Amino acid sequence: METGANIADKLASKTASSNSLDSSSKSSSLGSKQENGVLRDTPFAYLDGEEDQDQKNDVTYVCPYRGPVFGALTITNYRLYFRSLPLRDQDPPVVVDVPLGVIARVEKIGGATSRGENSYGIEIFCKDMRNLRFAHKQQNHSRRTVFEKLQANAFPLSYSGKLFAFAHASAAVQSSAASATVSASWDGWAVYEPLAELRRLGVPNDMWRATKLNESYGICDSYPAVWAVPKAASDDFLRRVAQFRSRCRLPVLSWMNPRTQATITRCSQPLVGVSGKRNADDETYLSYIMEANAQSDKLTIMDARPSANAIANKAKGGGYESEDAYKNVEINFLDIHNIHVMRESLRKVKEACYPTTDDSKWQTAIDSTLWLKHIRCILAGAVRIVDKVETMSTSVVVHCSDGWDRTAQLTALSMLLLDPHYRTVRGFEVLIEKEWLSFGHKFQQRIGHGDNKHSDADRSPVFLQFIDSVWQVSQQFTHAFEFNEHFLITIVDHLYSCRFGTFLCNTEAERVAEDLKHKTISLWTHINSSLDQYLNPLFPSFTRGAEPVLRPCASVRIVRLWKGLYCRWNPGLCAPQHGCQRTRELLSKQDQLFKHVNELRLKLTNRSSNMQTTTRLASPMH
Amino acid sequence: MMATGSSEMPDHRKRNTFTSYVAPIPGDSRATMDTNEWCLPSDLRDVHLAKPRLLAGEQIVASAPAYMYSPIAPMDSGSGSGSANPSQSNGYNSNNQSSSSSSSNSSRASTFGLLSVTNFKLAFVPLHTRGLTPSAAASDLYQENVYLGRNEITLNNIDQIYTVAELGRAASALQAARMTGSSSRRKKLEPTRQHINGRIAALHIVCKNFRLLKFAFQQQDLKLSGASDYGKLIASALVRFAYPTRHDLSFAYAHNEPYYSTLNSSGVCMFASKNDWTRELIRCGASEWQVISATSVPQLQNRLQAGKYTLPPHFVIPKSCDVERFLQLSLAFCDSRAAFWVYSYGNSAASLVRLAELQPASQQDSKMENIMLELVRKCDERKQLRLLHLTDELPSVQDVQRAHRKLQRLCTPESPAQFMLQDDKFLALLDKTNWLMYVSLCLRQANVAASTLRANISCVLQESNGRDLCCVISSLTQLLLDPHFRTIDGFQSLVQKDWVALEHPFQRRLAHVYTCNSEQSPCSEQSPVFLLFLDCVWQLTQQFPDEFEFTQTYLTTLWDACFMPIFDTFQFDSQAQRARAVNDCKLVLRPVWDWSEQFCDKDKLFFTNPLYQRQRSDYAAALHNQRRSVAVTGQKLAKPTSATSSSASPASRYTINPQLFATQTTVPQDRYLQPAHRIFDLAVWQQCYYRWLPVLDIRGGGQPQLELCQRLLLSNIAKMQRCLELQSLDDLPDAYYEAVGEPRPYINHNQQQQQQQHEEEIAEYVDGVERRRKSMPCANSSSAAAANGLSAALQLSSLSSFFPFGSPIAGDAPHELYDILSTSSELLLDTSSILDKSSIM
Repeated sequence: METGANIADKLASKTASSNSLDSSSKSSSLGSKQENGVLRDTPFAYLDGEEDQDQKNDVTYVCPYRGPVFGALTITNYRLYFRSLPLRDQDPPVVVDVPLGVIARVEKIGGATSRGENSYGIEIFCKDMRNLRFAHKQQNHSRRTVFEKLQANAFPLSYSGKLFAFAHASAAVQSSAASATVSASWDGWAVYEPLAELRRLGVPNDMWRATKLNESYGICDSYPAVWAVPKAASDDFLRRVAQFRSRCRLPVLSWMNPRTQATITRCSQPLVGVSGKRNADDETYLSYIMEANAQSDKLTIMDARPSANAIANKAKGGGYESEDAYKNVEINFLDIHNIHVMRESLRKVKEACYPTTDDSKWQTAIDSTLWLKHIRCILAGAVRIVDKVETMSTSVVVHCSDGWDRTAQLTALSMLLLDPHYRTVRGFEVLIEKEWLSFGHKFQQRIGHGDNKHSDADRSPVFLQFIDSVWQVSQQFTHAFEFNEHFLITIVDHLYSCRFGTFLCNTEAERVAEDLKHKTISLWTHINSSLDQYLNPLFPSFTRGAEPVLRPCASVRIVRLWKGLYCRWNPGLCAPQHGCQRTRELLSKQDQLFKHVNELRLKLTNRSSNMQTTTRLASPMH
Repeated sequence: MMATGSSEMPDHRKRNTFTSYVAPIPGDSRATMDTNEWCLPSDLRDVHLAKPRLLAGEQIVASAPAYMYSPIAPMDSGSGSGSANPSQSNGYNSNNQSSSSSSSNSSRASTFGLLSVTNFKLAFVPLHTRGLTPSAAASDLYQENVYLGRNEITLNNIDQIYTVAELGRAASALQAARMTGSSSRRKKLEPTRQHINGRIAALHIVCKNFRLLKFAFQQQDLKLSGASDYGKLIASALVRFAYPTRHDLSFAYAHNEPYYSTLNSSGVCMFASKNDWTRELIRCGASEWQVISATSVPQLQNRLQAGKYTLPPHFVIPKSCDVERFLQLSLAFCDSRAAFWVYSYGNSAASLVRLAELQPASQQDSKMENIMLELVRKCDERKQLRLLHLTDELPSVQDVQRAHRKLQRLCTPESPAQFMLQDDKFLALLDKTNWLMYVSLCLRQANVAASTLRANISCVLQESNGRDLCCVISSLTQLLLDPHFRTIDGFQSLVQKDWVALEHPFQRRLAHVYTCNSEQSPCSEQSPVFLLFLDCVWQLTQQFPDEFEFTQTYLTTLWDACFMPIFDTFQFDSQAQRARAVNDCKLVLRPVWDWSEQFCDKDKLFFTNPLYQRQRSDYAAALHNQRRSVAVTGQKLAKPTSATSSSASPASRYTINPQLFATQTTVPQDRYLQPAHRIFDLAVWQQCYYRWLPVLDIRGGGQPQLELCQRLLLSNIAKMQRCLELQSLDDLPDAYYEAVGEPRPYINHNQQQQQQQHEEEIAEYVDGVERRRKSMPCANSSSAAAANGLSAALQLSSLSSFFPFGSPIAGDAPHELYDILSTSSELLLDTSSILDKSSIM
């Protein structure tokens, strides 16, 4: 618990509390590294497979809140760790603990001739909204090795190295072989079982079947091995349909309402082109999807893009389904912009939030980032899908251009709104595994794991936006989610950290080829093994009270900036805690009373059974 | 529910027998109605059945059939822009889908009925042709005012009226109304205009509490040429009655029902007597101050002399200064407001003092001010004093009004298109209103004042007349310092002290009286300073969710109550004015704090915060310690209760001699709050400002749903405690069976019968809305749930996120909610702490 009396206090505790990366269930070799330096009296807990790369004792961290602090910098193959020298005993040290995976770019600042205090050193730009600046002394020549070690370990793929996740897992296997702590039920790689999840939705049934047609990823290399498709479509037919869809990403089932059979299917744009090509198979296939739902004689296509973008895509051979060609189809454009717009928007959010905020211009600054407007569009899109599927019982086909960015946002979010299962920890893990990982959201490209091309145009915070949208919904329906904000922040942190295998690679095919299942640890293993801290206290007792279908309000008037994520590095801005404490007290009181009532019941039954035995003992006399 | 509704047409005879809310209406209103003969088209035949309920002294001025339509719902879906969500077709709109015409899109949001203007209110009584509101039972839980129906507003609440001209013969009224968003045919109706030109197709009424009402008028057939233009009829009635030029034209004077107070038992201190003030002095341990009553000062009794002063009947001044000297000094200050004591804090009783600025004439010579400040300084134990110039630090009254106007525009968009336009750059527009900045500044100043007092330094708040932002800062400061003011009684006493007794000019600020001044813009004195204060308090309740006994619902209701002329609390500029109204016009005074006058018990239950603990145990204080915004460094342990203050009855006649009491303060010093005050930390008060916008409703989400969960928890705890006490297992909460994984045992026959009786209860109709007679729910109302098995056991109702203000949702189970409410409040009202140290650890 943090006392929060002064800024220094907060800074120390803040780093500890909001940075989920520190929490490590297993710690190793606490004492063994101490001979390296005197300052390492309380070093961080080394992870399995984590090894020192460089260590400097005379580095200044230019803290944007406390000013320059002098201390020791350690670089391992996983993290950058700085700890200030305590100047006075009562001041807690400033600690910076950043996984190298978070680093987007490292730059040298100042040269040998630079004058002025702290003008010579390195600046580190992070993917998680912060920049770090370290100053070195020119005469020590300490900068060069730090810079080189950072480059090599933060961007291993650019320096023919391997990501930390592999070293971490192999070391963990060795250490856990001895202790045998990893329980099978925790294994994150087993969380998502495609056929089991389809069975939960009621597939196979009269209209839908599961197929392993793509088992070797031969038809579509960015799709999973297992698909659910309309029964009416044969394997050969599916192969032909795939040809008419961008990157062969043909419509495949994402979710089905077990009651109404209304479905959400996802795909990429049809290859219509400027000439307006038509494909009879594709048209028939969509009618199969429509017919698989007896409740409605219409099919809704949700094109995530703004209509202008959809039209522009025709020039590149893409486009959208025309209502003339496809019978009983209605097309909607959801006005969500592309990855480049989103990247730019997040850059502006960072500008407004880091390192400090200008309170007098705060709202205008956030407004001009357009971030909330983009979030609103995603939420509104998802709500429209929910409305179609739930209220109108109409099946919906969702696509954007390639069907792996905006489509994933929309399908995953609308599934979350429709199906309470996805609002549990396990369910949410399944949702990410299914809609994001197995359907080929290109995490490697969008995040750029271990890659030094920081200005790569393929990078974009698409997944972050999804997590933000989930947070928005969880803010509107506080009691409807089993997990809390910390769970979402942990996911975002490990999205970059490269400690776990979950978010590595672009597609399921690549993950299988890399054998991530055996060579890395899943993030879900980590989370499921210490579940308590990720649970929402309001959830368990009110599970039944939760709305089965959530319809969040998609208005900028309601949607808020996620300060707990974007502004968390500023110790002065920590958001006030909303009174969960009292609720926790009440919950524990309730649990306690449950026990007392149990005791009472036991006592009462004992008494009555005693009475019965007495009467029975008395009765044989007659 | 649907079935019962459609089978029973609202019948006015039944309606008139309905007496559960108000006293029987003297003089049946039918007489008034009959004089207003209708020429009704065939489909309007039943309009006369939809008649508003009238209070004593209330008269119908004008009535006309009209369509009421929802401000901006439904959103048009289907357009390319993935705009604000179209699925929010709320219960309110969908209820009316079947009514009126068949052109689905335009009629969806509209209800047909009778619109009436009385001398008290604007009332719309819907005429349900088919299918009453399916959620009628659920609507029981939403706030209902005894004096006002759901579709009624007091004339006092009307801020602006806009007329929409007719668009030619072809267009229907509704079409015209719908098109007004884009067209510029919307025109503001000036209160001075006595004659209205042209036909009026629709009226838009913007309320002071941000409600937006829209009415469209049926276009008349040529054969009905005898009838007058309905729109014009209503508009001219509104212009005449909604903007009274004198206060004695207000309905309060016509409504001369006697009032029998039920307030005496409560702990609200009215600060209407010398003793009230003396008690407050003792409570705060302020021994250097004395109460002066105007009646005991000869100078103020002298008619010639008294005219020079505008002093409240009782005020507290330094002991070291005699009354004559004080009066002499006070002439130098605006509104003769020289230093008034309001509060003292801490062992050394550092004082909070309000002071006006010097009169413009005497501003060159600050001698008087210095003498006054010196007198205040002498009262401080350590002879220290800090002067806060609020005029320099805070917005002016006019600034507040400008901000409020801009905020109003953001909260009352005239059309879906405008709503989306605003939504696109909402934060920038919000920023431009400056409203949150003013809230931020007020919180900051209050924090400065509170920390000054905590440092044992007296604090003087100075503002031009000492009656506007002084009230805000002074009462906020006391809220931050004193936990007593965070209870409902305490808060009411605080408002009574700082706002009513020390005379915030409510009448001018809330524009109860329309003052047309040719030089100035009309109503330049209007400024919702009180709302600014309520907003600040709301921000505090958000930052400290378990520190306040009252909820945001209470605060919102309080704001609404400002526009109820029947209650005098917020109707006057000064006590003298109030006294004149009583003496000259025989006005019946009714304090707004007597909430039973306006609301039934169920509504009042939503005023109490389920998270609030009346008493904080040591364990809780320790938890407190760890909280960010509150640093606990109290030297003195908190006194166990604040009972000393709340037991003080305002009715006592005996003069209290402060000398006989200990001079130590009884205010605990370890429970002060340090709020975050940056705009960054503030939020928009959604319940109060957005509640009339159905598109912003989060069904089954938001704070009300959370509050309901908390109440359910309390209710479970209360039930189990009772079971343990009685050693019986009859009334265990569903949560228990859920936890142990057992189905709920069969409920005995007796209870089921009771349940059935409940369902067969005859529905009553008022205002065309079905209302069930209020009765306390039977002990166990979940028999239906039990029948459905465990899965339904904990199915909670989903509420509007503006609950209890939004529109009800169909298919609720209100009885279950009653049950939760009544049992949870047992705990809330229980002063013995349910969470003592031993029970938690």
